[in-house]
Amino acid sequence: AGEDKITVRWGLNQSLPAGTDSAYKTIKVQLCYAPISQVDRAWRKTEDHLSKDKTCQFKIVKRPYTTGNQTLEWTIERDVPTATYFVRAYALDANDHEVAYGQNTDAKKTTNLFEIQAISGRHVSLDIASVCFSVFSIVSLMGFFFVEKRKGRKAQQ
Amino acid sequence: MEISSTITETEPQKFALPVDSEHKATEFHLFSAAAPHMRAFHLSWISFFSCFVSTFAAPPLLPIIRDNLNLTATDIGNAGVASVSGAVFARIAMGTACDLFGPRLASASLILLTAPAVYFTSIASSPISFLLVRFFTGFSLATFVSAQFWMSSMFSGPVVGTANGVAAGWGNLGGGATQLIMPLVFSLIRDIGAVKFTAWRIAFFIPALFQTLSAFAILIFGQDLPDGNYQRLQNSGNKQKDKFSRVFYHGITNYRGWILALTYGYCFGVELTVDNIIAEYFYDRFNLKLHTAGIIAASFGLANLVSRPAGGVLSDMMAKRFGMRGRLWALWAVQTLGGVFCTILGQVGSLTASIVVMIVFSVFVQAACGLTFGVVPFVSRRSLGVISGMTGGGGNVGAVLTQLIFFTGSKYSKETGITLMGIMIVCCTLPIFLIYFPQWGGMFCGPSLEKIATEEDYYLSEWSSKEQGKGLHQASLKFADNSRSERGRRVHSQTLSSNATPSANV
Repeated sequence: AGEDKITVRWGLNQSLPAGTDSAYKTIKVQLCYAPISQVDRAWRKTEDHLSKDKTCQFKIVKRPYTTGNQTLEWTIERDVPTATYFVRAYALDANDHEVAYGQNTDAKKTTNLFEIQAISGRHVSLDIASVCFSVFSIVSLMGFFFVEKRKGRKAQQ
Repeated sequence: MEISSTITETEPQKFALPVDSEHKATEFHLFSAAAPHMRAFHLSWISFFSCFVSTFAAPPLLPIIRDNLNLTATDIGNAGVASVSGAVFARIAMGTACDLFGPRLASASLILLTAPAVYFTSIASSPISFLLVRFFTGFSLATFVSAQFWMSSMFSGPVVGTANGVAAGWGNLGGGATQLIMPLVFSLIRDIGAVKFTAWRIAFFIPALFQTLSAFAILIFGQDLPDGNYQRLQNSGNKQKDKFSRVFYHGITNYRGWILALTYGYCFGVELTVDNIIAEYFYDRFNLKLHTAGIIAASFGLANLVSRPAGGVLSDMMAKRFGMRGRLWALWAVQTLGGVFCTILGQVGSLTASIVVMIVFSVFVQAACGLTFGVVPFVSRRSLGVISGMTGGGGNVGAVLTQLIFFTGSKYSKETGITLMGIMIVCCTLPIFLIYFPQWGGMFCGPSLEKIATEEDYYLSEWSSKEQGKGLHQASLKFADNSRSERGRRVHSQTLSSNATPSANV
């Protein structure tokens, strides 16, 4: 994530009768979670009702539909988590409703999947700051104890 | 035998608030920060608040953390249970530490020792490291015990319920406030330019720093007792250093401590459970946006601003008229009603009704927590810390048990779980019937008619005759005298005699 690119190619299936794509106005290409990355993660669940469906959470591109094949080279964004993915393209009509789709995997979502590795979000400066502040907390506690003991001894004299 | 003099130092001290013979304040002035009483109150609730903020800082940011660390729902659930289970034993240990070292050192030490766990949350990189940081951060919830102990040491019977209730309620507020604070801090940092997966990490420095600073404030501005700190008082001979084994023994052998531990598990434990599951419940059952569900979840915790203090105030009001029996009846009634409303919550099907019932339920359950700590200060004087720790620990055990039985896996739907939890609350509140103080009575029985049932007898029974011979029991004697107010309106012609008469020539 953040560095590598994926190349996506899409186009209307030529074996379909002409005119099938008359309603298609926009194409929305999305990055979607493969089933293995959905296990025990209800926030990525696939639902038939598209408004509740959480399978595809990242938009690769949304552009007007044109006939013929399209290609796009997309740099994976930095907030994409580590998981196994596939790509799906939705064709939307003039009312932004999904009317058709295609994906780079089979219907069971088992073939042609790929993995993306997320950034860790960590930085050396953060690591150093965490350690320093933690050490400071412990050392200052010991410092307070030391001062208390000294005051106690003085009071006894 | 030389009668040891009163605990004050050579010159009589002047306090900003009226005090009793132990120099505990008999009035509670919320808007004052006068040393030592009200200052201790403010230090105590603020530091406890910061620990709650740290412990529950992760839940509102989970949508981002779970993607960064590749967590599954099981990982998240386990981390949630871990966050409340650490405090079970930490609370008991804290109680003992307070009895032996004083609340100031005990709480500041715990807070500074758990601050690293919050700092290290920023560098967590896997489900296991996430669980570990949540587990160790959760230990900081033991500051509850030191806060209650401190309030019980600074405030006298007539206001101890109020002091305990406000300190704990405003501390618990942290659990609600964090649901609003953390997303805000996160957005700010992200808007400044950090990437999501880095912004949440930076955000954790805020609760961590807050926690560290509150510990410093306690060390610099706080003191254990109205007369000074344990160490100084012990060195100058004004306070006796007690033995751990005796303190622990008298705590765990007092059956009332165990009953209160159980019942507290079904008010505070329930509160913690609800903190963890309620957002998801509203989100799933009523198809709300996560943001909306989060606000509803926060409001449950925010009710603590008034409901827990109200419980404490109610306890003190009942005690004024009816003594300890009034405190016990109020506790039983309010907590049982909490259980009833919980059962109703699981049954209602509309969003508005659910929100209304949830708020009523939260008020009763949190007031019950306040009422519990109106009774705890009187269970033991010598082992106050251990009893507070047992009760507090029992609260967390209740949270762990309830989450495991009703809210793990898919055995029960959330609404069924909530209904069953309500029924369990009602059942586990019944043992309050069994609490009995010989000098004051219990819910159904009056005080013992035998001649030996006085406050002195009860509190001095914690000291052996050898220890009394050494004069170690003087503080308990004073407390016994001051606790006569728990008889309710029957206390009239009792002359509050000087505390220098040891009735210990037994």
